[in-house]
Amino acid sequence: MTSGLHDRARQMIALGSVDALAAAEQTWLHAHLQDCDACRDYAETTGQVIRSLRSVPLAASPRLVRATQMRVRFHASRLRETRQRMWLVATSCLGVGISAALTAPLLWRAFALIGEWAGLSRPIWEAGFVFFFIAPALVVSVLLLARGTHLTNHGVRSQQW
Amino acid sequence: MNAAAFYFVNGMESEASAIARGLRRRDPDLLDRLIEQYQHRLLRYLVYMTANRDLAEDLFQETWIRVLERGHQYDGKHEFSTWLYAVARNLTIDYLRKKSPASLDGLLAEEDHAPLEPADTRPSALDMVAQREHAERISTALVSIPAEYRETVVLRFQEGLALEEIAAVTGAPLGTVKSRLYRGLNLLMPLLKGAQG
Repeated sequence: MTSGLHDRARQMIALGSVDALAAAEQTWLHAHLQDCDACRDYAETTGQVIRSLRSVPLAASPRLVRATQMRVRFHASRLRETRQRMWLVATSCLGVGISAALTAPLLWRAFALIGEWAGLSRPIWEAGFVFFFIAPALVVSVLLLARGTHLTNHGVRSQQW
Repeated sequence: MNAAAFYFVNGMESEASAIARGLRRRDPDLLDRLIEQYQHRLLRYLVYMTANRDLAEDLFQETWIRVLERGHQYDGKHEFSTWLYAVARNLTIDYLRKKSPASLDGLLAEEDHAPLEPADTRPSALDMVAQREHAERISTALVSIPAEYRETVVLRFQEGLALEEIAAVTGAPLGTVKSRLYRGLNLLMPLLKGAQG
């Protein structure tokens, strides 16, 4: 018998169980093992090693499982909060965008009329319009930044425990 | 396909898709259940990957956090355990790369630790000693073989994954998985001959 046949048989044995082999391979292996003592020994030793590997009692402690579950739940609630905040910010941005698009032409017209009535030059009432238009956004940005900083600090504190 | 096989495959698919739906919703009850269901298998895999129980416990927690964050990436078409092992494996490799830039072979650098602790099961003092010695012998043998062989052997014989599933977890071709298994076993044989627990 050539060494190639033994190698083939041993590789089949090493795949671990018959479910990994096709029916024809199983038949061939079975026949080979009946004739070859060395490969039969190899199969027995392999079986022994596999049984040893399967017999190791390595288990997670209940403490680890509980700690993991708590950590996952805490992280899930933080992710939910972040998602809700993002929804709020996105909805606000959309609302502001739509209202700005709708009111800008009216406001422009109103500033033009006031500028005409007050006898102001065009660049002055235009500058007034720009300031009036972006002032709320500036104020909100500053407030959000301040609140963001507060939340970040709060988040860091809550992470520490 | 016969009726039993049909129901088995369908049952598996519906369980996997139920898990996928729950993970997309980040359902905390589902995650609790999964953590309990896979606790021993995942920890055992991580312990043998890292050869360090403390590190394995940290990575165990990180794996479930990652599952929570990236649960939407699980498509429900494959076994959940395959995806879970892949997540754990990537985390372990990322951790070890951060520590010292290397591939999975870098795990070998971690293997200066004492043999792994066996589980705390207490039938009798004598049984405990025997069990402990047996577990230590096996973990010492496993730790002494190259990490990629060890990983394949552990996934196949301890976790019971099919060869195709191991290929999916490790990202290695099926032929490579087979040869790693063969070589890994050949390396373990002289170390574990007669070591049945």
